[in-house]
Amino acid sequence: MALRRQSVVLGVLLAPVTLFLGIFFLLPLCIIAVFSFLTPGLYGGVEWTFYHWNYGRIFGWADGFIEIFEPVYLQILWRSLSFAALTVILTLILCYPVAFWVSRLSDRWRLVFLFLITLPFFSSLIVRLYAWLLILKPTGLLNTVLLNIGLISEPLEILYTPAAVVLGMVYVMVPFMFLPLYASVDTLDRAQIEASLDLGANRVQTFLKVVLPQTLPGIIGGAVIVFIPSVGNFVVPDVLGGAKGLMIGNLVEQQFLSSRNWPFGSALSMIIMAVVLTVLMVSVRRAKKVGGHA
Amino acid sequence: MKKQISGLALALSVTSGAAMADGTLALYNWGDYINPDVLTKFTEETGIAVTLDTYSSNEEMLAKIQAGATGYDIVFPSVHMNDIMLKLGLLEKTDINQSPDFKNINPAFLRSKEDPASEYCLPYAWGTVGIFYNEDITGPITGWADFFAIPEKTGAKITLLDDMREVIAIGHIMNGTSVNSADPAEVQAAMDYVVAHKGAVSAFTYEVPPMLASGDIAAGHFFVGGNVFFAETPNIKYIIPAEGGTMYQENICVLASAPNKENAKKFMEFYLRPDIAALNVAQQYNGTPNTPANDLTPEAIKSNPNINVGAETMARLQIFEDIGAALKLYDRAWNTIRTAQ
Repeated sequence: MALRRQSVVLGVLLAPVTLFLGIFFLLPLCIIAVFSFLTPGLYGGVEWTFYHWNYGRIFGWADGFIEIFEPVYLQILWRSLSFAALTVILTLILCYPVAFWVSRLSDRWRLVFLFLITLPFFSSLIVRLYAWLLILKPTGLLNTVLLNIGLISEPLEILYTPAAVVLGMVYVMVPFMFLPLYASVDTLDRAQIEASLDLGANRVQTFLKVVLPQTLPGIIGGAVIVFIPSVGNFVVPDVLGGAKGLMIGNLVEQQFLSSRNWPFGSALSMIIMAVVLTVLMVSVRRAKKVGGHA
Repeated sequence: MKKQISGLALALSVTSGAAMADGTLALYNWGDYINPDVLTKFTEETGIAVTLDTYSSNEEMLAKIQAGATGYDIVFPSVHMNDIMLKLGLLEKTDINQSPDFKNINPAFLRSKEDPASEYCLPYAWGTVGIFYNEDITGPITGWADFFAIPEKTGAKITLLDDMREVIAIGHIMNGTSVNSADPAEVQAAMDYVVAHKGAVSAFTYEVPPMLASGDIAAGHFFVGGNVFFAETPNIKYIIPAEGGTMYQENICVLASAPNKENAKKFMEFYLRPDIAALNVAQQYNGTPNTPANDLTPEAIKSNPNINVGAETMARLQIFEDIGAALKLYDRAWNTIRTAQ
């Protein structure tokens, strides 16, 4: 009796979220999956006939006439994955020490700091990236200051380079890396560190055997949360990269907004999703293993 | 065709002075592509409240309408998109060509192939895409060859538009082929021209007016409407390249799904008036198909041969047409251009 009531309550509680995800997440996903196997309509949309060249032009089979295989799509995907991986590494290097520092602050200052980290979310991404454009451009803030204090004699060429894209991505993603890292650093068992040092392990050994395994779930969590949106980001390369290096996100956007090829855009999206899912599964398995050891 | 970055789409409501209960009219237009004063005046005279939503490309607008967006009365497609929308049955017949003021429209602007007599849409405005340059840095320039030589000569930066067909069109113009070519070899050659000059280009961007004003770039590929920012700066000039340039024209069309078709027709008739078309030009700095309106525009616009274009310059301009399935050639060329090192 009690059990049945419990399951009814559970069902009622879960129904809204299931319905919501079903309609707004699963259904669109199915549409993308189906569209990726259909013939592109001449003026956008799809024709309801099976068509596998959308994948063929990416992976190497194509009729060579209407659809042509080009390695450029895989190159663009690889480039996007590399940029995303670089973003993960740089945000990790930036955030890891800071997380330790913040976890040692007094309660009050810790709150202030956490508030500061989330502050950028209060304004639009586009507006913040345009602020970076004003900072980085040849006559911008950075160059003006460096020129005036005599550190450089020529303006630095940063804007519209890959470096500007990486800088922008790291800037956007830092909070996403910091929060999960901080959560795991904050719950670190400090007694274990003291014990390790007391028992004769040096600092490096203590870090590798005690600190790193305990914070690894936070590292993996942060890495996943940073990696996924970085792969598909197209705003940063457009605004700070001058649209010169094509990323996979730009390519998808272009298929829908200028090339009128919805099925090809869908096929590209499916491939991004497959890559991201693989990364996710590998890291979840990794995290489980680590969790099991601890 | 003044694009704003997607997402910054600005929704503007012109309700000041609106009389009650005279209905509404919903416009869906390019960003910054109509003088707000025109809408205010329309509301004052008719009591019809106007709302304005914006898009940044023909395809964005088409995709939204195709996906079933309702509630819009009037859209402003480019001529080739006007043709596509007619083929897809998305537009409403208005018989605007029967209006007495239709005689104001220069017949040369009835460019739609599907609607040669303007039974559906009304020619709205047209303009050119050319080069803005800071003469203090670049010296006098006449066309694309001079433009691409600026970085090597002066060390200054230049930018091209972030637009597939506009950029590849430069290659076509320099090779003497049509900007609407569907010949794979010609598209390839046009692409090769752009790739060969990519090293000189700092970015593909729409941020030309602010970057030019601040001195961050010395020249940029942009729409004639950019002149609105440089009326007071004589060193920044606009030219239609000697080798040739592109032009655009948008038409006012009523959607088949429009909820306020009568008000939409009223707006078209309002826009046929020369004083209204001239009021729009005074803020937009582009061309109007309304012949008598040209005499009513401000002197600075009337006397500038790069804005108020003569027949000789007109002959150097090409307009984009719908190229159907050949768009795929351009998509591939554009990917290559953007990934070329």
